[in-house]
Amino acid sequence: MVTVEIKTKISSLDERINAMALQGESPLGTQEYFVNMGPQHPSTHGVLRLVLKLDGETVREIIPVLGYIHRGMEKKAETLGYRQQVHLTDRLDYLCSVMNNWVVSAVVEKAAKIEINDRIQTIRTIFAELQRVQSHLLWWGVFGMDLGAFTPFLYGFRDREKITKIFEETIGARLTMNYIQPGGLMYDIHPDFVKDVKAMISYMKPMFKEYDELVSGNIIIQERLKNVGILDAQSAVALGASGPVLRASGVAHDLRKIKPYGVYEKVDFSIPIGTVGDCWDRYSVRMLEMRESLKIIEQLIDSIPEGKHLTMKPGAKIRPPAGIYYEQMETARGIFGVFLHSDGSEKPSRVHYRTPNFHNLWCLTKIAPGGRIGDLVSIISSLDVVVPDIDR
Amino acid sequence: MKTVIVARPGDGNFVSRFFYGVKSLLTGMRVTFRYLVHPSTVVTQQYPENRKTLKLAERVRAQLSFTFDENGFHKCTACHICEQQCPNASIHVMDRKPAGSTKSELDTFIWRLDSCTFCNLCVMVCPFQVLKMNSNFESSVYDQKLLVYNLTPYAGPASSVLMKVADVEERKKLIDARGPYDGPTALSGFPLAGISKQVFPETTQIGAPQ
Amino acid sequence: MSVSSVSQDIASHLGSAPEISAAYFVAGLLGTVTFLTVMALILIYAERKVAAHFQCRLGPMRVGWHGLLQSVADALKLILKEDIVPYSADKFLHALAPVFAVVAMLLSLIAIPTSSRLALSDSNIGVLYISAVSGLGVLGILLGGWSSNNKWSLLGAMRAGAQIISYELSATLSVLVVIMLSGSLKLSAIIHSQEAGWWIWRAPGVGLLAFLLFIVSSTAEINRTPFDLAEGESELTAGFHTEYSGMRFAFFFLAEYLNLFVVSALGATLFLGGWMPFHIGNFSGFNAAMDLIPEFIWFMGKTAFLIFLSMWFRWTFPRLRVDQLMKLEWKVLMPIGFINLLLAAMMTLFGFYFFATT
Repeated sequence: MVTVEIKTKISSLDERINAMALQGESPLGTQEYFVNMGPQHPSTHGVLRLVLKLDGETVREIIPVLGYIHRGMEKKAETLGYRQQVHLTDRLDYLCSVMNNWVVSAVVEKAAKIEINDRIQTIRTIFAELQRVQSHLLWWGVFGMDLGAFTPFLYGFRDREKITKIFEETIGARLTMNYIQPGGLMYDIHPDFVKDVKAMISYMKPMFKEYDELVSGNIIIQERLKNVGILDAQSAVALGASGPVLRASGVAHDLRKIKPYGVYEKVDFSIPIGTVGDCWDRYSVRMLEMRESLKIIEQLIDSIPEGKHLTMKPGAKIRPPAGIYYEQMETARGIFGVFLHSDGSEKPSRVHYRTPNFHNLWCLTKIAPGGRIGDLVSIISSLDVVVPDIDR
Repeated sequence: MKTVIVARPGDGNFVSRFFYGVKSLLTGMRVTFRYLVHPSTVVTQQYPENRKTLKLAERVRAQLSFTFDENGFHKCTACHICEQQCPNASIHVMDRKPAGSTKSELDTFIWRLDSCTFCNLCVMVCPFQVLKMNSNFESSVYDQKLLVYNLTPYAGPASSVLMKVADVEERKKLIDARGPYDGPTALSGFPLAGISKQVFPETTQIGAPQ
Repeated sequence: MSVSSVSQDIASHLGSAPEISAAYFVAGLLGTVTFLTVMALILIYAERKVAAHFQCRLGPMRVGWHGLLQSVADALKLILKEDIVPYSADKFLHALAPVFAVVAMLLSLIAIPTSSRLALSDSNIGVLYISAVSGLGVLGILLGGWSSNNKWSLLGAMRAGAQIISYELSATLSVLVVIMLSGSLKLSAIIHSQEAGWWIWRAPGVGLLAFLLFIVSSTAEINRTPFDLAEGESELTAGFHTEYSGMRFAFFFLAEYLNLFVVSALGATLFLGGWMPFHIGNFSGFNAAMDLIPEFIWFMGKTAFLIFLSMWFRWTFPRLRVDQLMKLEWKVLMPIGFINLLLAAMMTLFGFYFFATT
């Protein structure tokens, strides 16, 4: 029997705050103070709570406090069959629901050795990219609003609606899709799907110019984002950041290229990379990613292969052999991974989600101190956190 | 790996930055002004007024409902597959065995809108295509209890059995009428049977799924 | 402040019995307050409609025809709403702050002439009076933020204090240009000095620059986007009025829109000739044609244009950061203002502007 001595002190929030307060020392000799940002705050995007130590306007230290929307998703998944737990992932990162579904389906397919055809893969890829654009559009709107410009918010939602309509037409849902199932797709694509996607692409392309005129080119935006919240590549990797946050720091890491899944190896697209890792780079990386995603869709939309949309009976039992399975993919916010431990029964014995936002959030503690409150808001927004994904 | 380096705004000297700033602000103002003077760009949908013209996609999942054949009979054989597949226990199929028969038939089909996540699994697994999601999204009611529906209008065998009975009067003897709030539920042991008659006598039909 | 000149006018026609005079004074006062309240309601409605159409929306459509009565309904709602005072707030100051904000605005409105006959008080230090009194508004914001006993409110109030006091400098510098050119602090005299043309174009370059400076700094003074740091919805939840609800919040809201009106009216008066029709020097035919449009319409039209400009800014631009705000004022606007003032001084000295009389 080996006893392990736990050396890390697990301190409560109060203890951490008290420890922080003792260090307080301002160059002007003024008093530092604590402010709770959230759980109800307009720019914490839900119920994220940040305990801030402020010196006037300057953020000195920051503690994210989680758990306000913890729903026990991973435990819940243990009580559900492999097919049923797909719909839970809609509710993690609700802006990437199709991509989350895909990861769970992929890991179940890998575990139970379910064959899928090219048609399914192509449609999955198209939907994932549509959702990437949709997610980034929403982020763009909210980002504008966080910086005080209300109009981009509505423009973003207006254009996002074009993609949401496509989802609604084929999937029948706008947010919680539950579209990608182990073994295929819930529905085949709608007869108008190809036409509508093409119409959407031709609508979206001139819109990017407008976004640049309204937001990207704006001097206030540029000045507020440039050299704010610099996350260097080493810290980004050390903190486990992924997705646009990591790529903005200059690390060319994208699972779509490194370990292609779906039909990504057949299409030609490039990965936007930042140089400095500040808010501006994170902003531009996402803006370019939208264009690249449209490029991917354009290449695939005309050549969707024929085939069935579901390779197995929808009610068939799935019993993967006992073992440990892991699959990860690049969602709009970073790497979403699903760890599955199967004991050979109809239900997994352990499920773990590696969610991108949980890791991206902790970059905040590294990059926010030293900036103003206004900087903090733009940093939170540029990290693009979705709180249900953090807490699960 | 094919990568592109994102562009960064120029640092420039103070004067050029100043003039760039003025120009960029004017460009932004031009964008918003264009929308102001073009009322055709308005995208607002005035919802309750546009009910008549509002068209939802046919696959929209808003309420679970039964499909019926041309005689108004359903094909449900009370096989419980949908109940087993439902991840949230939102479906309870209550079956009955008529006197002198060994085959069970559908009595009430309880669907709890309040816990349904519209994952569509029940629709996908139904072997007889009895269930479908319809786009009737106006499902708000004044009491949470009213979100527990019985989907079938009658208790009785599936249409395949019923149609074997040639006489219409004989058929009617095989089935019993059911209201949208009829039937017990297995959940928590709360009796829901007759809730509409006792507690909400007038509201029986309001909000019932189509 | 003396009795309003309108009531004096009317009283002089009807005889100068003190009770009649007093009655007209009260009537004038009530009329003014009613006019201003209605004005604020109209402005709120206009803002919502303009904002909506900037954003591809329709805005209020339900209450009345195209939502015309929406702001009335909102006002009624705010009156009926429970007025919540935080437990640990300084109750007296908490109640006083919105009053300060509104009263400061009402006071500054007294001095603005709306037409050649209609001016409540034509003091010979009108401009000075307005810039002094409108500075009182910041007191309301500071008191409101401090007395709420909320750190976000306090942050908003401190931001507002620093911002308004800083930007008052460049606003005053741009106003000084007009004062120098017209040679008077009296608002009616400033308007009369623009009989040959508005200062915005009559003083080549300098007038326009001063006008732009005034627009920017006055937008900052009334806490509107891109300078809405005091409220900063996404940063400070609602800034100084986080803890206000019901009628007290409505007072801040009213003050904000009256502020907008005052600043625009002042801008119109100083740079766009106030109620003075569009005149070009000695082209008497053209000038006579322009005179056909009533003075009051000219005044309101110019004010409305400036208000629209302010709304346009608000619904296009993001918010500045607090240090950039200070940088913009002290490093950009102030130097420009000083240089502009110097140019204006030389211009005045040598009569180097259009239709100079000297």
